[in-house]
Amino acid sequence: MQFPGKAKPPIGIVFDCAMGKIDDALALAMLHGFDGKNEARIAAVGLCTPDLKAAQFCDVVGLFYASATTGIARAFMHLTPIGLDGGKASGGPAGSSPMLDATLGKSGPDGKPVYSTTIKNLNDTAEVSTLIRNALTAQDDQNAVVVLTGPATDFAKLVDMYGLKELISQKVKLLCMAAGAFPDGPPEPNVKADIAAARKVLAGWSVPIVAAGYEIGAELRFPGESIEKDFAWSTAHPVVDAYRACRPMPYDAPSWAMAAMLYAVRPKENYFKLSEPGTIIVSDDGRTSFAASDNGRHRYLILDPAQKERIVRTYTELASAKPVARKPRRPVDEKKDEKEEKKEEKKPEPAN
Amino acid sequence: MMITSKALPRRAFLRGMGTAVALPFLEAMVPAMAATRNTRPPVRMAFVYVPNGIIMDGWNPDYEGTLGVLPRILKPLEPFKQDVLLLGNLTHNAGRALLDGAGDHGRCSAAYLTGIHPRKTLVDIKAGVSFDQIVAKQVGAHTRFPSLELGMEDARQAGDCDSGYSCAYTNNLAWESESQPLPPVLDPRALFERLFGKGQTLTPEARTRENLYRRSILDFVSDDTRKLEADLGPTDRRKLDEYLSSIREIERQIERAEHDNAQIDPHMEKPYGIPADFAEHFKLMTDMMTVAFQSDLTRVITFLVTHEGTSRPYREIDIPDGHHPLTHHRNQPDLIEKVTQINSYHVKQFAAWIGKMKSIKEGDSSLLDNCMIVYGAGLSDGNRHLHEDLPTLIAGRGGDYIKSGRRIVYRRETPMCNLFLAMMDRMGVHAEHFGDSTGRLDGLDLA
Repeated sequence: MQFPGKAKPPIGIVFDCAMGKIDDALALAMLHGFDGKNEARIAAVGLCTPDLKAAQFCDVVGLFYASATTGIARAFMHLTPIGLDGGKASGGPAGSSPMLDATLGKSGPDGKPVYSTTIKNLNDTAEVSTLIRNALTAQDDQNAVVVLTGPATDFAKLVDMYGLKELISQKVKLLCMAAGAFPDGPPEPNVKADIAAARKVLAGWSVPIVAAGYEIGAELRFPGESIEKDFAWSTAHPVVDAYRACRPMPYDAPSWAMAAMLYAVRPKENYFKLSEPGTIIVSDDGRTSFAASDNGRHRYLILDPAQKERIVRTYTELASAKPVARKPRRPVDEKKDEKEEKKEEKKPEPAN
Repeated sequence: MMITSKALPRRAFLRGMGTAVALPFLEAMVPAMAATRNTRPPVRMAFVYVPNGIIMDGWNPDYEGTLGVLPRILKPLEPFKQDVLLLGNLTHNAGRALLDGAGDHGRCSAAYLTGIHPRKTLVDIKAGVSFDQIVAKQVGAHTRFPSLELGMEDARQAGDCDSGYSCAYTNNLAWESESQPLPPVLDPRALFERLFGKGQTLTPEARTRENLYRRSILDFVSDDTRKLEADLGPTDRRKLDEYLSSIREIERQIERAEHDNAQIDPHMEKPYGIPADFAEHFKLMTDMMTVAFQSDLTRVITFLVTHEGTSRPYREIDIPDGHHPLTHHRNQPDLIEKVTQINSYHVKQFAAWIGKMKSIKEGDSSLLDNCMIVYGAGLSDGNRHLHEDLPTLIAGRGGDYIKSGRRIVYRRETPMCNLFLAMMDRMGVHAEHFGDSTGRLDGLDLA
């Protein structure tokens, strides 16, 4: 039920990624930046990988931001569940992802881990499709945006879930995916990883879909110097540790996931130009092409060189934003209920 | 065992003067030549619901797999832990606010067996057909009562019971249609008469009048009993005697409760036969549930112990504070302790019932073995109103199906409706989807 006259909360973001590359980590930091500024809410984080460490990393980042404003004890109480592809969840082969290993394995002078996680095994995570379904049920109509920066495997499963097509149409305003290469290019890794799923999502998600192609993220580079400078407010920041572990510093990182996230939350800020509407076509080898049509639901982002500097500046501002405590967003009647509960506690004992 | 080619019908009754006492499962009901085929007792299911969440630190063991030392709240089940399956991480998303604001107590009980997010309203209530009723509609043709809906507290059906949610949501578990809940029977006498009497509930005045001439219903069926006993073997005679004795004991308990109530407060508004003591009331209701299952009067029971949001005090265990206010403990140890004691007290009553069910032989197994009795709540943490990791256990094996004595932890957000779908299968009712299910809950039958 939605109550007429009630202002919609900030847009709810469902973020699904592989968390194998640093741009995913930066996009997650950016999402927390949007959340802190009340521009967006984190509705769910899903991982299209069976690597438990990827889930632990997202959990670490969530705890880091929450504890910065609420303290660690309260932070544990307000975590969004994390979805993980249940394929293997073995923790991944040792050394497979230096950024995850380095961050999760970081210890302080006392030998204890610097970062806490609530995720110990697969059962501490949710099935991605169930998590996303449940998260969407809690969003106002047309007030959810889905950001997909990994293979589309889980999103293809959603199409097959009972009642999900209707739920997606009702709740989701936009699906923004870091996928493909436009107007043409070699097969892009996310599409190539699961071609059938990419086709299924493009055809089965009956909402506007905007693709941030490979060329966008490759061109827009997150500046390594920002890591040294803008994050200095924290002595231990998981995304900083992840960044440093990926490659020898200094380096600038591509920003496929960040571009998708930026457009998803601020579509009207003209950071990017948009293609005309049409249909994204996936060939058998994973290449993408685009067929323009007036009634098409798909578009792709086009880089406007004039905006490049502004975009990179926005990246750094949001990803490095220091968390600030903010007032909880609660419906008025919930507060009323709390007052009633307090009154009830003061009531004399009922005769029985 | 009697060797006979013509078995006693499974649906046999002892009749006399307006009463009809169903028989328990007897060996004489199994023809000698058919002993090896299709003679298994039926599978029954029950739901025992406790409100306001549970102190989860006292419920969840810190291990998975074979049940070892049970946490404090579950301690009373220690003698029966081989008969219990603990399930972790089951979630009712439909009980969450989902944009509807406050009212978790109203939502969680309405959603518990329906799997549907109820409409927030005081008037035009809407939830969904509960899964017990879906089962009852199909298996109910085999029994006198398709289902029984029982409770122990206030069955108000109108008014605001939680932040704009009708009392119909908090005070019922079973729903026969999306707008028609099935109110629970609270009064043991009313239930007794429904099970064995004339099929009608007498007014207190009529009952008092009748009590002048009251005899045991067993007196009314004594001729039938004698005739039947003559045809039974010694094992069945003993089983029948135990069964009829248990019915007589229930009668005595009810009479005692009625007598005590009259002594305590003749003006009290409680239904006539409701015992003042919680444990006594619980025992009476569960004793009758036992008989109802034992004699195949029904295969589906829901038991709303007390309703969501209840502020019932527990003076029986020296807790005069209301249950609901206590559960908003704000992490104060003394309040948490009291809620833990209430949770334990509930489980203690439940464990006594499980012990009784286990003691009753049925074929080569026990009555409990042929049941799936779910004990649980629609909230886990009552302080924060959480709808995930709902406290859930199944007692019984559902007829050699469930591998008990274990704790299984599923993935977070696993829908509770997945359990219902699996239970439906076991009850012989096949559905592809229920509520927000994403599939059948696996692992119940794995060793």
